[in-house]
Amino acid sequence: MYIPRSILVLLVIIYLLFLASVDWINQPEGTWYRPFLVGFLIVLVAGWAHREQDSDEL
Amino acid sequence: MNYELSTLFLLGSGYLGLLFGVAFITDKGWIPQRLVRHPVVYVFSLGVFASVWAYYTSVGNALRDGYGYLAHAIGISLAFLFSPLLLKPVLELTRTYQLSSLADLMAFRYRSPWAGTLTTLVILVGVTPLIALQIRAVADTADIISAESAQGSIAIGFCILITLFAILFGTSRRAGRTRHDGLVMAIAFESFVKLLAFLAVGAFAVYGAFGGFGGLNEWLNEQPELLQSLVDTDYFSSFHVMALLFFTASVAMPHMFYVTFNESNGQRSLSFASWGLPLYFLLISLPVLPILWAGLQAESLVQVEYLPVAIGAAYDVPFITLLGYVGGLSAASGLIIVITLALSNMCLNHIILPIYQPSASQDIYRWLLWHRRALITALIWAGFLFHYLPDDRISIQVIGTVAFTACLQFLPGIVAILYWPQGNKKGFIAGLSAAFIIWFLFLMLPLFLELDATPLSLVSINWREISAISLIVNSFLFVVVSLYSTSSDEEKSSADICALDTIQRRKRSGLVAKSPMEFIRSLSKPLGDKTATREVNQALQDLNLSTDDRRPYSMRLLCGRLEANLSGLLGPSIARELIDGYLPYSIVSEHGSSDLNVIENRIESYRSNLSGMAADLDSLRRYHRQILLDLPLGVCSLTHDNEIVMWNRSLEEFTGISTGDVVGSQLIDLSEPWLSLLSNFLDEDANHSFKHNFQFHGQKKSVNLHKALIEESEDHDTSHEGIIIIIEDITETELLEAGLTHSERLASIGRLAAGVAHEIGNPITGIACLAQTIRDEYDGKELNNLAEQIIEQTNRTSKILQSLVNFAHAGTNKTQYEKEVVSIKECMEEANTLISLDKKHKDIIYEIEVDPAATVFGDSQRLLQVLVNLINNARDASPPNSKISLSGIINGDYVEIAVSDEGVGIPGAIRDRIFDPFFTTKEAGEGTGLGLSLVFSIVEDLNGDIDIISPVNTDKGTGTRVVIRFPKFQGEAVVTNNEQEEDAKLQQSV
Repeated sequence: MYIPRSILVLLVIIYLLFLASVDWINQPEGTWYRPFLVGFLIVLVAGWAHREQDSDEL
Repeated sequence: MNYELSTLFLLGSGYLGLLFGVAFITDKGWIPQRLVRHPVVYVFSLGVFASVWAYYTSVGNALRDGYGYLAHAIGISLAFLFSPLLLKPVLELTRTYQLSSLADLMAFRYRSPWAGTLTTLVILVGVTPLIALQIRAVADTADIISAESAQGSIAIGFCILITLFAILFGTSRRAGRTRHDGLVMAIAFESFVKLLAFLAVGAFAVYGAFGGFGGLNEWLNEQPELLQSLVDTDYFSSFHVMALLFFTASVAMPHMFYVTFNESNGQRSLSFASWGLPLYFLLISLPVLPILWAGLQAESLVQVEYLPVAIGAAYDVPFITLLGYVGGLSAASGLIIVITLALSNMCLNHIILPIYQPSASQDIYRWLLWHRRALITALIWAGFLFHYLPDDRISIQVIGTVAFTACLQFLPGIVAILYWPQGNKKGFIAGLSAAFIIWFLFLMLPLFLELDATPLSLVSINWREISAISLIVNSFLFVVVSLYSTSSDEEKSSADICALDTIQRRKRSGLVAKSPMEFIRSLSKPLGDKTATREVNQALQDLNLSTDDRRPYSMRLLCGRLEANLSGLLGPSIARELIDGYLPYSIVSEHGSSDLNVIENRIESYRSNLSGMAADLDSLRRYHRQILLDLPLGVCSLTHDNEIVMWNRSLEEFTGISTGDVVGSQLIDLSEPWLSLLSNFLDEDANHSFKHNFQFHGQKKSVNLHKALIEESEDHDTSHEGIIIIIEDITETELLEAGLTHSERLASIGRLAAGVAHEIGNPITGIACLAQTIRDEYDGKELNNLAEQIIEQTNRTSKILQSLVNFAHAGTNKTQYEKEVVSIKECMEEANTLISLDKKHKDIIYEIEVDPAATVFGDSQRLLQVLVNLINNARDASPPNSKISLSGIINGDYVEIAVSDEGVGIPGAIRDRIFDPFFTTKEAGEGTGLGLSLVFSIVEDLNGDIDIISPVNTDKGTGTRVVIRFPKFQGEAVVTNNEQEEDAKLQQSV
């Protein structure tokens, strides 16, 4: 099975972000939109991981 | 602030009319294709998944579960973020085999019509609550903002409108063939409106209700329990299941399957959506909390789910109310249109067509169209009826959860498609049936029954546990039954095609139908002439094949494409039945006959995805293949039944038959003379055959042939026994050999002539001496006259002999050149004398005009040879009674010698080749093709250059003039480069 390397990197980054941000999000004094900031960060990384590459149309 | 029912009805009609307008102008081509096919449009069209669930239910979920309301966005986002794991392989399968629904995919993978039918039934039962949910949400919200209580009227009106639009949208074209640009654009538009409306309502909640983020934060600080509920981890256990539910829904939900796979522009669009759709869901989830809090602050009494519509009323801003309502209407209508379109296809292909099929005399397309329309109507009104069934106390959140849980039951079957080839139809059907029963008894049934009257109610049993139990039972039965039951060969083949980590070994078999016309004849029986012709032509067009193509390889491709196209039209089960029944293979499976062309094409198209050792092996394969392709010998490889597998570039150039035209065809399909050449050689026992001569396009060709048997390998699955033939073009070598032989013969004649001249010269000298003696010693006028004539004749004979000797000795080696001052006049006269000895063409008139001062420093004999050759050529080309002009003039530092004739001239096509050795236009035996070549080399050796002007007479296009230039003799020896080099060598040696 072929999994592009960038997708594996994305997987690792999402996992690390989850670990790093779960306490930060859950702080009672934190702002309510913190999960969305993490979400936007993930979308940015995903945009890089799925950037247009010269691959074959299967 | 209440609106009249008619106003809401008009608003709904106007909005749906706008959607139809968008679809209409897109289909008319008034919107540029660049925009229509842009990945952003695809992402917005995927936004159809953000239905009433994301728009209304999320607000209620946020109150109950805090951040848990994000589960649906996270589930669907994960499916797209990791699209290479699930979505991209499924997209590839659906595109290749024209599978338009999950039922098609299941029927294709598990090679069972029952798998498709069961999938359709489960989805039909599971998804009906989802349609009902949309209708109920529209009716409820209309009820909230209308002046009169008229849920029923609103629901009926909405259903009538949506039925009309769903039919107009989706059934105007043949399904499964082309991308419905109009539909996609309309759905993308509704997703855009939905997002915009929701963001606007959210912005109003922040700035209108709280006066900005500062006010919101202040209010939140006064409500610590709200902030605490956001991070409350009680919801966490159901959060995972909910996310898994929506992850599965990305493939299992019919509307998602339809938009993701049927309306995709390919892998690139999906790559764009892999981050675009998560962004869309992030944006649409953002306003949920502010809307909820604004509703709570206003202490709205409306059901919390409908706050997006209610907060406008709560804060007395009619525009926001209408905006919220239009957003909700948009979410509901988009989902209903797409889901009913997708479901109607599924029901048609997997429930109706297996039972009843139109006859061949009917117009199949029209029949399908009307049945699809009827099904769309039935599905929408089934949803309408269903929305009355559940108790009003059951929220839309519960109804939605039940619907999505039904789709979760497809997770084991979907995973097995890509990752577990051992899974079979028996396991799939057993697991899905058991899970469906559990789902129906414990989740679906309680929706209808009185909550207090049944122990199976949602209140008493946690839906999460039921979902988990059904999934576990499903997976367990699927695995156990698959492992303990056998799969058919067809099913194994399908599993291999679908699985990602197996190599497909397609067998190469011959079809009974041998040409596209035979395909049409065979398919006319079940489909009718018109449909069969249309389908076969469409498949030929898809493959870029011509109707004359009869190659077995093309016929196999055509058969596969036809099956895929028919699968898009009638579903994979019916398509398979048609193909198996009417286009059978002549031999089901041949030993050792893997379809190398197909394997190769597959590897080529998958190449950039190969990594590690697979990539190394592919590089190695390409290297070896390239060697064969670029080999300066013709290589042709045949299978044991004489199908051509390889035809390399040398052979392509030699035969003029392109590789693309010949690979995959039978040897007997080759044109002459190649068919006879190869067939006869294959019939011979000997493995080598030398100097095969044949005529090709009027030219004589000569080849050496070699053949070798490709032995059967020990691995029977991958054996490729056949024959490889090497064709060596020796035409040029043969010509060279013939030329050399001829040249050698000429040299022998020259030597003979020299010998004869010498032998004759002695007696002639004797005769001349005797004649002189007679003239000098004897008196008598008559006698002296006779002696004088004898002397003249002997002188003439001596001169002729001398010329013969000179000519015979000329042109062997440049080191033998004798440099002397040569008078062009003398040389030309001598040449003329020699030419005049030839009795042919006596009617040619020679004109000689030479400057006596024209002298060059060179070898007179070589120059003579040059002139003789040029005059000979001019004479051969000249018509009777024409003129040949010989001139020698001084032009600056050069002496120009020109030989002109009035012949036909030299055609432009051969002008570049006339100095090539052995190139001649004369009849065989009349010319050696060496003359001009020799002239060229001698002129070069004498530091001259040669130019050919043809035609001389541009009006008539006739005549040729050969102009040779030599450096003029300046009074002292012109030292050539060769001599300079020799002098330098001498000095060095001294």
